[in-house]
Amino acid sequence: MKRATNPIILSGIICNLLMITALFAGCASSSPIQPASTTVATTVATTALPATAVPLMTQNPAAVITTAAPPAVVISTPAPVFTHAEGTVVAFTAASLKGVSPKLAADFSAMYPGHKVVFNLDGTQALRTQVKNGAFADVFISASNAYTTELTNGVYFINSTIKPLTSNYVIVILPADNPAKIQSMADLAKTGVKIAMEDKTVPAGTATIAVLANLAKSTYSPAWNTSVFKNVVTYETSEPGVATKVALGEVDAGFVYESTYTAAPGNTYLAITIPKKDNYLQTYTIGVLKQTTNSGAAADFENFMLSKAGQQDLKDSGFRPIS
Amino acid sequence: MNPVLTLSENNRRNVAWLGAALLVLSVTLYLALPVVALFFWTTPERVLSTLQTAEVISALYLSLVTTVISLAVVIVVGTPFAYVHCRHEYPGKVLVDTLIDLPLVLPPAVAGLALLVLWGRVGILGKYLSLFGVSIAFTTLAVIMAQIFVASPFYLRQAKSLFEQLDPAFEQTARTLGASPIRIFALITLPLTATGLVSGAVMTFGRALGEFGATIMFAGNLPGVTQTMPLAVYVGMEGNFIVGISISILLVLISFAIMITVRILAGKETFHA
Repeated sequence: MKRATNPIILSGIICNLLMITALFAGCASSSPIQPASTTVATTVATTALPATAVPLMTQNPAAVITTAAPPAVVISTPAPVFTHAEGTVVAFTAASLKGVSPKLAADFSAMYPGHKVVFNLDGTQALRTQVKNGAFADVFISASNAYTTELTNGVYFINSTIKPLTSNYVIVILPADNPAKIQSMADLAKTGVKIAMEDKTVPAGTATIAVLANLAKSTYSPAWNTSVFKNVVTYETSEPGVATKVALGEVDAGFVYESTYTAAPGNTYLAITIPKKDNYLQTYTIGVLKQTTNSGAAADFENFMLSKAGQQDLKDSGFRPIS
Repeated sequence: MNPVLTLSENNRRNVAWLGAALLVLSVTLYLALPVVALFFWTTPERVLSTLQTAEVISALYLSLVTTVISLAVVIVVGTPFAYVHCRHEYPGKVLVDTLIDLPLVLPPAVAGLALLVLWGRVGILGKYLSLFGVSIAFTTLAVIMAQIFVASPFYLRQAKSLFEQLDPAFEQTARTLGASPIRIFALITLPLTATGLVSGAVMTFGRALGEFGATIMFAGNLPGVTQTMPLAVYVGMEGNFIVGISISILLVLISFAIMITVRILAGKETFHA
């Protein structure tokens, strides 16, 4: 190796070290990832760039800003506030809204023409972890008050926008052919029965644990509770995961929300309802996140979800209105 | 006027060296930094205390046991299979060749779903097994089957190419000296291909240890029975971040330990995929 090349390699190494340092400096800050402020190594500018870029007109604003209410439903919502920068609303949504989400998206665009929503559906615990680690979202729909509180304490929400959205009870579903011949909750403790449940970190999982504890206290014994847990063969990471295992017939019973049972086509499942006094009412909350870049569209989406149209969609899918 | 071409020969070579250095360092750092970041996220004391909890120990034990069993099955069954596959022509050999590579390109979740549809309680074959009271889905056996399915191509492809590339003269000479085919396989072929087979086994072990998608679909997630380390990372990451990080660090250390052990055992041989 020529001696003359050593300083070149050295400077290459130093450049890389500077890049890493800048990367670490960017990562060390607790705010969501921002574009690195490193200087570009070479700027070969042969022609001067124009001083200001001409803003792109991506949509015709005149067509969208209307105060006319959509034809079928009369709602007293404020006029949409639409700015050029706003795009699709990104909604991190609890997985149990999976079935109703296409209808919600369609009705949202119908109520606010020009607005669109895209859902990221996953267990609330997974979404909370994503947000806390810098994932971008405009709106967060949580299936658990505990996680909503956690995000509020972490100052992720615009506090004034946190509202209760809907609620859901827990129900037991069985495959349509009921392979284990389960007739009542007592049969769940029989040996050999396979039960699917959500993991305790999933909101539906904590609800199920509470329901089983209530039932053990009121109707059945603690021994029943222990036997039921002995029969659990899998702790799924989301509520639709349990529904899938039951639908496939691979387990004999699963704990899900009532909405999943109601929204499923006719003969997919059999169900055992749990008495209200022993049941756990899961409340969903909706809120706009501080990091939103579409604050107008996000607020519109929240208004839609709380409006008659949104609530009707949820009710049709088996969710219960907030009292 | 391209500035590079106007430089002298010497400077052009320096620019090339600079480019090469940047390239090597960028690739190395891209691969190394995420792993390093794992270690810097928390303190060693927190990691050690988390690693001693019951759920982590059970996931570790289950992972190691199932992966070792899977590897043993793949080696014991796969080595003779690869040998027979290479040394003989039979109808459908091309199809079998393709099928060996299939799990490599199949998404693991699809593999898990396919295994469930076949071997599950109401599966195409599984329903006959359940008549005899045998259930496979949601058991540790399902974990092993899923691991074998997704990890075996690594070993089989390696064994196949090694046996194909082995100079047939060795085996033919042994044959002329009166050795039976099995004796040839055991005393001639295997020792000559041992280092390559070991590298295939290492990759199979790593792939089986890290299997997630097929496991969670086919075997489910039950602590102590089917919750392997990758599943514990996923569940831990969502509920209890420190658990996820701790198990991840453990997996990195295990991977490094395996690779270093193999390098020491194999001396200075370079391994090829």
